[in-house]
Amino acid sequence: MWRNVQRALVIVLAGAVLGLAANAVSPRRIPYLTPPKTPPQARDTVTLKEAQDLWTSGKTFFLDARAPADYAAGHIAGAVNLPIEEFDDHYSQVAGMLTPDSPIVVYCDGLDCDLSHRLLIKLRELGYHHVRLLANGWTTWHTAGLPTHTGDQP
Amino acid sequence: MKIVNLVLRVIIGAVFIASAVAKIGDVQIGDRSKGVAPTVQQGDAPKNWSVPIGRSHVMKFSRVPDMATFAQDVANYHVPPRALGNLVAITLPWVELVAGVLLVVGVWKRASAWVITALMVVFLAAIGWALGHGYDIRCGCFGTVDARRVGITALAEDTALLAMAAWLAWRLED
Repeated sequence: MWRNVQRALVIVLAGAVLGLAANAVSPRRIPYLTPPKTPPQARDTVTLKEAQDLWTSGKTFFLDARAPADYAAGHIAGAVNLPIEEFDDHYSQVAGMLTPDSPIVVYCDGLDCDLSHRLLIKLRELGYHHVRLLANGWTTWHTAGLPTHTGDQP
Repeated sequence: MKIVNLVLRVIIGAVFIASAVAKIGDVQIGDRSKGVAPTVQQGDAPKNWSVPIGRSHVMKFSRVPDMATFAQDVANYHVPPRALGNLVAITLPWVELVAGVLLVVGVWKRASAWVITALMVVFLAAIGWALGHGYDIRCGCFGTVDARRVGITALAEDTALLAMAAWLAWRLED
């Protein structure tokens, strides 16, 4: 019994050491501790009014960061789905529509939802400068009675 | 009974090795003609191994694992304290790998079965937690190749795996 407990601990420790070593040498290493969540800054967000004006002007791309099923259930009219959790699968279809200077508004749903913030960070890393975020976007937008669509097309 | 134990050891060990490799190697499977979505970010040299599967598909192993995506999958469960999510993502696949390999090769097999049983209990609890809170999150069970969401299927699979692992933990000799 005791011998097996010791062995089990050795197995866990050996795995942990290997994992730490692998992370230490990986070019895409991550911090050992998760950095605290940073909420989006005020300058990164748009108000509903601003979002509505941008939407009406027709020059701004609205990107929905939620999963495809949530997008299909209802989204801001004209918004394109770019789920951050499946970014690599969807980005190639969206990339053709965007230029680094394209004005972009990202959104998800719920005050706790960080999908749009993660999408914003990802897009900025890729060189898109004009990305902003509509907090609690879907709820805010559709409860204000603004135009929406359902289905998997914008 | 020995043959049952051997079969179970190979099954459980293989599942754990596959699950670890999928996480460590950032495995992607895709249609060869369309190419597999690049998970290697801009600025990284493409460092992938490709293995054809049949005529039309290809499995791609990255030599530069996408730690951040798996870490996000772990964090989405909201089970480990937020600060420890990365540590879990860094170490967990390697613990799975060591325990899986030892179980298959038959070294310290009882202790390996204990580790695996304990991990299965933790995984089941995490899935139950996520389902109970209604989180619609990616399972992450087999790394990022596995786009499945947490749901009843994952719960059923893990329950079956736990039953097999617990049997081994109980019955295997040292």
